[in-house]
Amino acid sequence: MALTSRLSRVFPRRAPSTATPARAPSRTRTPGPTTPTARAFTQSLSAPVQIYRSTSTDPYLNLSIEHHLLQHSDPASTILFLYANRPTVVIGRNQNPWLEVNLHQLRQGLGPPLQSPSPSPSSPAGGQTAQQQEDASPGTNAAPIALVRRRSGGGTVFHDAGNVNYSVICPPAVFDRDRHAEMVVRALRRLGVLRARVNGRHDIVVDVGGEGGIDGDGGRTGGGVQTFKVSGSAYKLTRTRSLHHGTCLLSSPNLGRVSGLLRSPAEGFIKARGVESVRSPICNVGVGADAFVEAVVREFRTMYGHGTARTQVVGEEEALATEGVVKGVRELTTPEWIFGQTPQFTFSTCPTEDDARERPPSVDDLPDGFQANFTVRHGEITSAAVSGLEYHDLTRQRLHYIQDWKRTLARASPTPVDTDVAGDWLNHMFGIETAADKASGAVAEMAVGMISDSIVGSIRDGDGTP
Amino acid sequence: MASIARCLRVARPSAFSAVIQSPVSRPIGLRSFSVTATNAIRKYTKEHEWIDLSADKKTGVLGISEYAAKALGDIVYVELPDEGREVAAGDAIGAVESVKSAADINAPIACKITQINTLLEEKPGTINQVPEDDSHGGGWIAKVQITEQGVQDLENLMDTAAYAEFTATEGDH
Repeated sequence: MALTSRLSRVFPRRAPSTATPARAPSRTRTPGPTTPTARAFTQSLSAPVQIYRSTSTDPYLNLSIEHHLLQHSDPASTILFLYANRPTVVIGRNQNPWLEVNLHQLRQGLGPPLQSPSPSPSSPAGGQTAQQQEDASPGTNAAPIALVRRRSGGGTVFHDAGNVNYSVICPPAVFDRDRHAEMVVRALRRLGVLRARVNGRHDIVVDVGGEGGIDGDGGRTGGGVQTFKVSGSAYKLTRTRSLHHGTCLLSSPNLGRVSGLLRSPAEGFIKARGVESVRSPICNVGVGADAFVEAVVREFRTMYGHGTARTQVVGEEEALATEGVVKGVRELTTPEWIFGQTPQFTFSTCPTEDDARERPPSVDDLPDGFQANFTVRHGEITSAAVSGLEYHDLTRQRLHYIQDWKRTLARASPTPVDTDVAGDWLNHMFGIETAADKASGAVAEMAVGMISDSIVGSIRDGDGTP
Repeated sequence: MASIARCLRVARPSAFSAVIQSPVSRPIGLRSFSVTATNAIRKYTKEHEWIDLSADKKTGVLGISEYAAKALGDIVYVELPDEGREVAAGDAIGAVESVKSAADINAPIACKITQINTLLEEKPGTINQVPEDDSHGGGWIAKVQITEQGVQDLENLMDTAAYAEFTATEGDH
């Protein structure tokens, strides 16, 4: 899919004479021996059963380790990979970040921790025994929430340190969508979450209340039973391998914020091709991360390893010593991947033939008579009509590089117009930040700030300028 | 697509049979299968892609098989190949998404992508309805120019009869 060709556009500062290979170790900011561990990470790729746990919390790095395992492990091998990310919103391969995500909230980070860890009833496992506070430090909360487009299908999910992700890579012949979700359900039951089960969408849900005998999904069902999603699944299938990864909400203190993070102000104005998320009520299972990892590893070994495979801990440094992983991180952090891979969509401020929905009340904030209607293909505006004027200059612009709609509208208009109100409104719709202290409000710039400090040095090369 | 074809039959027998019994997709799928098979040389991969060859073996049309399309379930998005790209046999040239799965579409033989079926971006379900139709409005994915290597690669593919036999036994592996 010619993925690497996009990299150069986002990291244009790379010195022309330098090639990518083997630059990673020397770029790592934290000094330390990388070679021995680097060998350890890649030397087992041909083993029949492999188990890895990443100590990194960078979502781009963890997904790139996972992708490296998918692409470079022996086709007959079966692999379990476990990791947790710092606060992150992950969209599916064919989703639209402008539609799925509140980009303003992502920039702002999580803010102070909520008092109540969950809007849902307390843990079905019998109490939040392992309430984690990793995200409670002010430093973490001020950081922007990372936005990631993953390579697998499916909808948008929220990750933080209270959510552990599992990933199973196996040959296509033994793959099925529920096989490893069932594995995780067995692990959860072993940990006391007795009413965990896989639902018809291949997600893991937990039933709360009632007397059992459940047959419904998605919130309240008969007999006082409520059903909450605790784990979402997604899959990537290549010619030789299949990958199933899933989240598992153990003890996230941020559940109350998830709904807001995953609601875009532009939702009522965008009609998109591709995949839309299905909203589900969520809750924590109230299990500690280590206990969960141990239980999942145990179930995995029972299925494949007969106790032989040992868990390999993968640190950031050794992961970054692998060229393929670094390439993966570079690609996943490019605006061209995160925003430019968006399936075509239309945005219109009033009902159209194609999208006849009544528009949300926020449209009333626009000046009288202002209308905007445009089509965006792979992040690029391909046609636009604004207030009946011919805004020729809008076309061919890339939406994620627009820094301020006020300027963009003013420049595109053949006659002088007052674009302040409409421009601000469009900025709000598309997540553009125009604060005076910001060099650029374009959403493309977000990607730069979302990479973890500990690895950002490793994935840049060239003159070292951020 | 070998993986999906198998997994769905095992994991979701209800979904699988629902597709088979669909009054819409079944007759249309059958029609396209028989019409195109008589018009061109058609070959299949084990990963459930098909390619139709022109008589001079210089150009072709490719897509995913009816068997795979049924097993996939509702296709909600198609990542089309890049026009102009030259690929080797087995290279991932695009993907289809269904049931949370992004499944690679692989080049059956070495070729150069000359045209893509943009209809699929708007109506991905066309692949469920007429997956093996290489005409206008069909579920074909790309038109290609076949290289010398591509002609050699053809030897590794199955003809219609061999593929039918292959899919009939695939679940037993």
